[in-house]
Amino acid sequence: MGAPRSRSPRPKGRRVRLAAVPASAVRAALGRLARSHMQGSARRTGIMTDVHRRFLQLLMTHGVLEERDVKRMQKHCYKVHDRNATIDKLEDFINNINSVLESLYIEIKRGVTEDDGRPIYALVNLATTSVSKMAMDFAENELDLFRKALELIIDSESGFASSTNILNLVDQLKGKKMKKKEAEQVLQKFVQNKWLIEKEGEFTLHGRAILEMEQYIREMYPDAAKICNICHSLLIQGQSCETCGIRMHLPCVAKYFRSNAEPRCPHCNDYWPHELPEVFDPEKEREPGISKSNKKSLRSRRH
Amino acid sequence: MSEQSKDLSDPNFAAEAPSSEVQSSPGVPAGVPPSATLAEPQSPPLGPTAAPQAAPPPQAPSDEDDPKALLEAAEEGRAHQAPSAAQPGPAPPAPAQLVQKAHELMWYVLVKDQKKMIIWFPDMVKDVIGSYKKWCRSILRRTSLILARVFGLHLRLTSLHTMEFALVKALEPEELDRVALSNRMPMTGLLLMILSLIYVKGRGARESAVWNVLRILGLRPWKKHSTFGDVRKLITEEFVQQNYLKYQRVPYVEPPEYEFFWGSRASREITKMQIMEFLARVFKKDPQAWPSRYREALEEARALREANPTAHCPRNSVSED
Repeated sequence: MGAPRSRSPRPKGRRVRLAAVPASAVRAALGRLARSHMQGSARRTGIMTDVHRRFLQLLMTHGVLEERDVKRMQKHCYKVHDRNATIDKLEDFINNINSVLESLYIEIKRGVTEDDGRPIYALVNLATTSVSKMAMDFAENELDLFRKALELIIDSESGFASSTNILNLVDQLKGKKMKKKEAEQVLQKFVQNKWLIEKEGEFTLHGRAILEMEQYIREMYPDAAKICNICHSLLIQGQSCETCGIRMHLPCVAKYFRSNAEPRCPHCNDYWPHELPEVFDPEKEREPGISKSNKKSLRSRRH
Repeated sequence: MSEQSKDLSDPNFAAEAPSSEVQSSPGVPAGVPPSATLAEPQSPPLGPTAAPQAAPPPQAPSDEDDPKALLEAAEEGRAHQAPSAAQPGPAPPAPAQLVQKAHELMWYVLVKDQKKMIIWFPDMVKDVIGSYKKWCRSILRRTSLILARVFGLHLRLTSLHTMEFALVKALEPEELDRVALSNRMPMTGLLLMILSLIYVKGRGARESAVWNVLRILGLRPWKKHSTFGDVRKLITEEFVQQNYLKYQRVPYVEPPEYEFFWGSRASREITKMQIMEFLARVFKKDPQAWPSRYREALEEARALREANPTAHCPRNSVSED
């Protein structure tokens, strides 16, 4: 595939990082690149070893994982298959795998939980335009309940939909008739499977759901779906400027206004009226307080 | 984009009998070049699926002379009962469409496995392959290929009779990969608790005994738990359905009582040594406090090691499989 090729080419842009190599080798490498470009978009720059395969298997098994666990998992995969190799930086490692997955329309996606800014990873299907992962687990009326809840969440100001409002829609569900009692249990099933988070009787989307369904949501609800002014990703929970209405994720707010005594709206420059949130700092190794509360919301049903 | 809308908005889609042949590839065929680059979608290595499939002809069992061919023969037998074999089928789809179907099937299989649901061939046809039924063999083959190359997983036909598939790990060594999971998988803890009880008893565990043990965790059959939900349903139905446990009536006992046994999946996935380690952790004793069981665990571990001598050889390239 070429000697001076960088170990971690990014799938978009296809840049090649060149170390100190003779010009002829550089030209040869570029020539090879150009040729393969002409072969069409089928060019794959990633190499899959058993390390990567095991990593993918494990990631798929767990559905969604926090960055800390992902790093541990990466170390484990190296230990199992390639003890002596230097461990790639996680970002490069994942980009490498993603370049192979690209032609399959799937991707390891990195997201950040909206409430406390923890980075999470999941393997997502880019080709889907529906809630296909959920479709296998749930009956038609359950899926419809989720859709109703999703709509309420997206339309809401706070990003939360109250249990009462969701349950009131039980009569409008497609499929088999569902009683409110049953619907309550189905909502709990969504929480256990990490599609929804519950806080004090209100429901919002789990980070995993946002990661997997962002595309779907933006396509299905282009007007109602809110976008963060800083990172331009889908926004469910966040803070908004009371003057001009732009919104920002809590972690984005924290990052943008870091150590700024007088936070001002990036859009209209008005004074930012909200308290700046405390969010997860990846620099700090352990956050015992946060990790405990996170354990609660990341309970899973898998074994 | 999917053939069948995964919104399940049309639950009445007729599940037609899968009359086309089925094969699951035994792994990465030796002839495939070992590079990790996936073939360009425009040149599938399965050319002949395009044109000559006008009607499903009664072929002799094809290249792979294995029990999967019996499935084909069985399917063909069924298909032949209707005199539609002579009808010309629809025009063959473009290779790119077959490739896309293979990708959809790959994702479908991965998610089913993630949810620990049964991968059932008729479901595969209904939910994913749909009207491409005739080409399902090539689609399946391509899917198996991708799964093996990219994920190191084999799509195996586990039961010809029930037409069930399973995703089997093709990487050594096999283990439960407890890595990042010990305290984040309460389900495993619950399951291991029950499995250890059965194991230590050496025979089936009566349901009453199981509940005595679960009481330690604060679980009761009539109480809903915040994590597990309906515990009784979980252990008597879901774990059973996933083949981790067997739940059977005790013979000749009135009033009826039930007992639990290890399921086939538990026997496959969980080693005795793991059970001993679990017990040691829970009871804060040495695993050798159960000497006969520990001996069994050691023997099993040795047998597993002998069966997988390549366990500790690091591999850097695609294995020959």
